[in-house]
Amino acid sequence: MKKMDNTTRYERLRERYRNGDLDRRSFLGLIGAAGLAYGVQTPFAKYAMAQDVQQVRFDGWGGVVSEAFREHAFDPYTAETGIEVVDGTFSGGDEYLAQVRASQPGEFNIAHLSGVFDYARYHNFDLTTALNLDNIPNVELVIARLMEPYRAITPDALSAVPYDYGTTGLAYNRKYISDEEMREKGASILIDEAYKDKIGGWSDWRTRIWYGALQTGQDPNNIEDMEEVWDAIRQHRDLALKYWGSGAELMSLLAEEEIYVTEGWSGRIAALQEEGHDIGYYDPPNSFGWQECLFVIKGSPVEACEELLNFMLAPETSIAVAEGQNYPPALDGTKVDLGDKIPTLPAYDPSGTLESLTFADPEYWNGNEAEWSKTFGRVQRGY
Amino acid sequence: MSVEAREARQPWILLSPALTAVGLLLFVPLMFIVVYSFWLRSAAGADQVGFFLDNWQEALSDAFYRDILLNTLKIAGITTIVCALMGYPSAYFIARSKGNKPVLLLLLMLPFWISYIIRTMSWINILGVSGALNSLLMTIGIINEPIQMLYNETTVILGLVHFLLPFMILNVFVSLDGIDTNLESAANSLGATKWQSFLQVTLPLSLPGLAAGGLLCFVLGAGTYITPMVLGGPRDAMFANLVYEAIITQLNWPLGSALSLMLLVVLGALVMLYNRYLGMAQLMKGLG
Amino acid sequence: MEGTGKLGWSLIRLWALLVYGFMFLPVAVVVLLSFNASQFGSFPMTGFSFRWFVELANNDAILRAFRTSVTLGLMTAVISTTLGVLASLALVRYKVPGTNMISTFLIAPILVPEVVLAVALLLFLNFLGINKSFTLLLFGHVIFTLPFVILVVQARLVAIKRDVEEAAMSLGASPVQTFFQITLPLMLPAVLAGGLFAFTISFDDITGTLFWKPGGVETVPTQIFAMLRNSISPEINALGTVMILLTVGLPLLGAAIARQLAQKSGP
Repeated sequence: MKKMDNTTRYERLRERYRNGDLDRRSFLGLIGAAGLAYGVQTPFAKYAMAQDVQQVRFDGWGGVVSEAFREHAFDPYTAETGIEVVDGTFSGGDEYLAQVRASQPGEFNIAHLSGVFDYARYHNFDLTTALNLDNIPNVELVIARLMEPYRAITPDALSAVPYDYGTTGLAYNRKYISDEEMREKGASILIDEAYKDKIGGWSDWRTRIWYGALQTGQDPNNIEDMEEVWDAIRQHRDLALKYWGSGAELMSLLAEEEIYVTEGWSGRIAALQEEGHDIGYYDPPNSFGWQECLFVIKGSPVEACEELLNFMLAPETSIAVAEGQNYPPALDGTKVDLGDKIPTLPAYDPSGTLESLTFADPEYWNGNEAEWSKTFGRVQRGY
Repeated sequence: MSVEAREARQPWILLSPALTAVGLLLFVPLMFIVVYSFWLRSAAGADQVGFFLDNWQEALSDAFYRDILLNTLKIAGITTIVCALMGYPSAYFIARSKGNKPVLLLLLMLPFWISYIIRTMSWINILGVSGALNSLLMTIGIINEPIQMLYNETTVILGLVHFLLPFMILNVFVSLDGIDTNLESAANSLGATKWQSFLQVTLPLSLPGLAAGGLLCFVLGAGTYITPMVLGGPRDAMFANLVYEAIITQLNWPLGSALSLMLLVVLGALVMLYNRYLGMAQLMKGLG
Repeated sequence: MEGTGKLGWSLIRLWALLVYGFMFLPVAVVVLLSFNASQFGSFPMTGFSFRWFVELANNDAILRAFRTSVTLGLMTAVISTTLGVLASLALVRYKVPGTNMISTFLIAPILVPEVVLAVALLLFLNFLGINKSFTLLLFGHVIFTLPFVILVVQARLVAIKRDVEEAAMSLGASPVQTFFQITLPLMLPAVLAGGLFAFTISFDDITGTLFWKPGGVETVPTQIFAMLRNSISPEINALGTVMILLTVGLPLLGAAIARQLAQKSGP
């Protein structure tokens, strides 16, 4: 059994208080008693915390992202609190969730996850915590709309802070496909016979279904005729040369002209354009918007994590990470100066409202996950 | 203690470290998988504990799983045969060459020093439309337009052969190298041609190595999922991809457990056959 | 190999040459592209540059991962070869009841899809309340390299005649002496091959490592796998080139030095 530190003690008290097991007065009384029991705690709060929590684990995408975090957030954080940040890398959110499910509470702490889908899935598996946003002052700088979907899932308290966003729009080789043609055909270009064997697509079932909905003129967040969508997916499957599975594959397929058109992640296409490739990027109406968050997993030392999140959300960290991965940060451009590069990134919204983007409704999508992901597995293989 | 008793105990002492390790780290954990395969996935949240046959019923009765399993065995089989055809003569060359055998073997393992994923993806640089081969053919003038060679079952097999060939060659080499060359010379001096003495002396003696290599190739080929993901088209999938998708993408651990046990049983049966065959090889040698 | 066999031998040599060519094709491409100026591997190449080697030298994460991979691979090779040789001896040299069952049991780690093995082991450890550690990762690697060692060593042992060992014993050698002076040298190629297998498999493993590694530990493949989201950089090609130079270069250098020394000490 792990030693119970004051953070856990406090968490439990707070949870009982929330659940109504404790009235406000005894809650405060117990908090006071807990403080007493720890001696005169407040002046030594940092010291006490450093003793109880020696390290916090962060899992993310590695590479440039992790370098930026290390330099701008982890090292300053360790210098200030004495808590080490151990960082791990994962290759995808699905496989990470499998690890978390098979782990002990407290083993994994903070993760860079897909915003709304993962947030809801972790909530379903009872892996959410309750963050006290007062301890994360930098949250004030975040685009408010990005937090709404989380509030819809856990109305009492958030378990994550938004970190970045992007779109999965259409990427096309401008040598073969003109901007006009792209705009005219929109999502349906992915099922255009003219580009047979020069079409690509992400192997992710959500993206396939989302674009299937767009191709059949339906609302991706309220699909009425699913059979029609599956047919569009089958059509795309037969015309596609390749389903890609990673940003690296996406980029090399386009750069080497193996395919001319695919959907693509905005940040990766921006990176290709930066390299000098003549690849266009177009967000069709209702293009697939998404966001990523920094999620605190149940069983973690919450106060230590809150402080680390604050370091990670700080503008200089956010900007460094964003410039590295080419996805705009969750920070509101009207409140923070985001520098020169970020406003040029695809999907970036200068208004700070994100009204131009359509996000997936997590309840709708996660509710259909079991059936759709399975059916997609079959449709993909020719059934 | 009697000599017999000691003799009977010795093998178990030798076996115990390996048995303990595999038992503790593989079989006990596998029990969890067996238990899991009888649970039920609920639409969201934790799995439903109990004794349900649904997963097994689905895994065994659904033609989808059967077809992909058969396709997987087919691909693994073709891969193994290609590996044997390419590998046996090469192993023979290494075993009988006067050159530096360790260096030749080490060279064979070189591609592994480059990470699997990079190695697999480098086929795209070779066979892609702007890859080395197309660019070469166009420079020579054999073709005017690049040929689309990638992303089909053939490239999946190609990737697998490249991955598995060293396993075949090393296994065959190790058994060929153990054969006394005097046996061949003796056969030759008794009037057999080179080819006859190879067929009647060397080949049978090297069969255990060929079988071991073949088994490795088949089993590893059947259990792979990254190669079809990188080098296959949208439809190309092997059984391990389904297991991966069930467990990782769909988070359906109960069904994933049932599927993986199914694969385990099929491959396990194959190993039993192999062991029997290896036993026969030993018998033949005993008679010869 | 003279007389009628000459043609056959030339054919075999040609065949082996082609097979080696096939094996080296991706290696050649990786080495070539590590000097390519642009990020993607389109042919014909656009320019020559050492840029990726410079970046590699500055990339601490990859270098750290490289050291971890080598350490892990070597330890795995030693442990798994030892276990494998002992087990193979027992299986081939003794009449053990149920040999078939035992062999199948020991080969089982490669029969189970690795994802399943990975998740199963995690569930088990979670059940026991054991945290992930480097030791666990090492054991995981030992488990699935063991079958390779056992298969290759067994196949070799079968070919070694019992008579030689018996002759040694009848001349008064103890079983242990016999093992070290007769059996081990005879099966040394297989032991080395097994060790080479174990190291290579461990060095190259992704799936299991991804699940078992403790926080802060990365191997080269897991590092690369995570980098795939943001496009792998040709630094990885540069690392491959360096690896190959090391593995080809060191033995050749060693051989050259040995030859030099032999010449000096010669008559």
